[in-house]
Amino acid sequence: MTKIIIDASKSNRLPNLKELYRYRDLFFTLSWRDFRVRYAQTSIGLLWAIVQPVVTILLLSLVFTKFAGIETPVPGLLFISAGMSVWSYFSYVMTNSGDSIIASQEMVKKIYFPRLIIPLSKAVVGLIDLGISILILIGLMIYYQVSPSANAWITPVFILLGMIAALGVGIWLSALTVRFRDFKHIVPFIVQIGLYVTPIAYPAEYVTKTLPDWAANIYFLNPMAGIVQGFRWSLFGGEPPGTAMWISIVMILFIFVTGVLYFTKVEKNMADYV
Amino acid sequence: MSSSGNIAISIKNLSKRYLIGKKKDTSLRGTLSSILKTGNSSDEEFWALRDIDLEIQNGDVIGIIGKNGAGKSTLLKVLSQITRPTTGRIEINGRVASLLEVGTGFHPELTGRENIFLNGTILGMTRKEVAAKFDEIVDFSGIGKFIDTPVKRYSSGMYVRLAFAVAAHLEPEILIIDEVLAVGDDEFQKKCIGKMKDVAGEGRTVIFVSHDLGAVKNLCNKGALLQEGKIIFTGDIKETISKYTQAFYSDELNYDVSDYSKRPRGNKFAVIEKISINKSLLSPIDSLEVEVLSRTLEESTIGKKVHIAIFIMDEMNNCLYHFNSTAIDYAETFAETNKATFLINDLNLTKGTYSINAHLSSNVIEYDYVEGVVSISVDSQTIFTNQTKFVGKIFKTFEIE
Repeated sequence: MTKIIIDASKSNRLPNLKELYRYRDLFFTLSWRDFRVRYAQTSIGLLWAIVQPVVTILLLSLVFTKFAGIETPVPGLLFISAGMSVWSYFSYVMTNSGDSIIASQEMVKKIYFPRLIIPLSKAVVGLIDLGISILILIGLMIYYQVSPSANAWITPVFILLGMIAALGVGIWLSALTVRFRDFKHIVPFIVQIGLYVTPIAYPAEYVTKTLPDWAANIYFLNPMAGIVQGFRWSLFGGEPPGTAMWISIVMILFIFVTGVLYFTKVEKNMADYV
Repeated sequence: MSSSGNIAISIKNLSKRYLIGKKKDTSLRGTLSSILKTGNSSDEEFWALRDIDLEIQNGDVIGIIGKNGAGKSTLLKVLSQITRPTTGRIEINGRVASLLEVGTGFHPELTGRENIFLNGTILGMTRKEVAAKFDEIVDFSGIGKFIDTPVKRYSSGMYVRLAFAVAAHLEPEILIIDEVLAVGDDEFQKKCIGKMKDVAGEGRTVIFVSHDLGAVKNLCNKGALLQEGKIIFTGDIKETISKYTQAFYSDELNYDVSDYSKRPRGNKFAVIEKISINKSLLSPIDSLEVEVLSRTLEESTIGKKVHIAIFIMDEMNNCLYHFNSTAIDYAETFAETNKATFLINDLNLTKGTYSINAHLSSNVIEYDYVEGVVSISVDSQTIFTNQTKFVGKIFKTFEIE
């Protein structure tokens, strides 16, 4: 028989993984609910998922490739699409999981379940958009006759890292937003700035060439910098990303682990704050 | 199994404190500045639960009763792990499911079928368990062919029935229920009580909170009486209920309301100090005496005309009666102290709990308003036979020709 002990003098520092696993069906149901609500109800739901990235990609390539004349190893449109596909997934998951606890406050106030399920479940819906962007990307590769590099098999690893990065930031934000509503306003800001401080529309070499070493290292503290670069490298080949990417990966793991720990710390009193 | 094999829940020294700030500043700036001014916090403490010790045996159906704000809901929230206690330790043997509100997580855009799975998994079932019970749930809800319609198109009755049906088919060892019986029509309520009795009959432990003393008496075998966050009595349900009615609903009640500092309304030129009520023993209540004592604090008020009113509100805070001195020829003026005794006949209130609010003013200037302090409860129903339940709030005699 299950035995539950609630002891005010002891607090969990680590998330209860066994319990999370026990609630895995809730994870799937919530993901599926979000999917249903996002796509199945609006008649042009899927179309939106295509229109948004396509317009952004076209604009970015117009500004960066055409006007500014940024040189890219593969055609600008293709180069930007690759970066955007990972970046949009990241920003979608981060935004939604960051807001997720507040958005589900009715549930949080009424029923107990591991709260971590809520932000985690947001990673799944974004995969649909990611899939669409990747289809667009493949279409462009065929159009420009760019064949995938020998490293293409490693692409999923970068997508996975992107997912962990998005969830890490999202989990931090979801826990912080409960306590400090101000963080709600920070998210759109992160998304906006991130688009420019991540090598999406320009190759990262511009950063390493123009900025001094220490500044470039700071640049790569942005977890998505290494991911976007690595993702493109695995698709198109070229020079491997090197230490800069490792900085990003360590950063991702750090954000994710601390995020989960912070979340676990504040989880038990969330119902009192939302 | 240890020697405590018979105990479903053991609560030791449980307290829950809330901090209620003068103005709740949860912003980043607020927290940063309160960190800088360490220790100097303007928060006020409020102990919703204080030193609770309680043991619940396996198979007990225990009713938690007490006035509003006694800590019932907080206790349930702590037990169902929604919020954490400030002190104390709780051991729970078995899986807990709590129905603090039915239909949590329902999404209006999704169909009934989809919501059953959604709600079921939120309540802690696996998809497989929901699937196994699916037909039973649909059957119980009586939703029938609307099961594939989005629930936003449901009537509120259908919505609640479906939600309750899901919850009723949980199979935890311990079930925590808060006021859910107040849903649906009469027939559905009967069905719900029946289902609860089945659950209790299967030897599962049920913790039940309700204002409906009739339902509590009907369903529970044990009771615990909460007052201001403390358990003041535990025992047989009938004894608990009689302790409760004795403590709060004696025929003559005097409420000292002289501490007016927490009452937001009115300028307090004159304040209400004491409200006494004297009700008839008849049920439904047919007559009531309400005596309101007031003290004038602002000298300039003396000599002005007293406008005094009382309101009788139902549980949902709807005003059923409004007795206002301006409606009759009442010419009393403010003195140092005033006493007004309302004599009310033919109230005919039926089963339920009612609160009596009092209002003091003069020439549309509001002095004081006491609300939610004085309450009366009518708990037996003698108007009709057992087959018919009177659902009105006010009973009137009538004839049929």
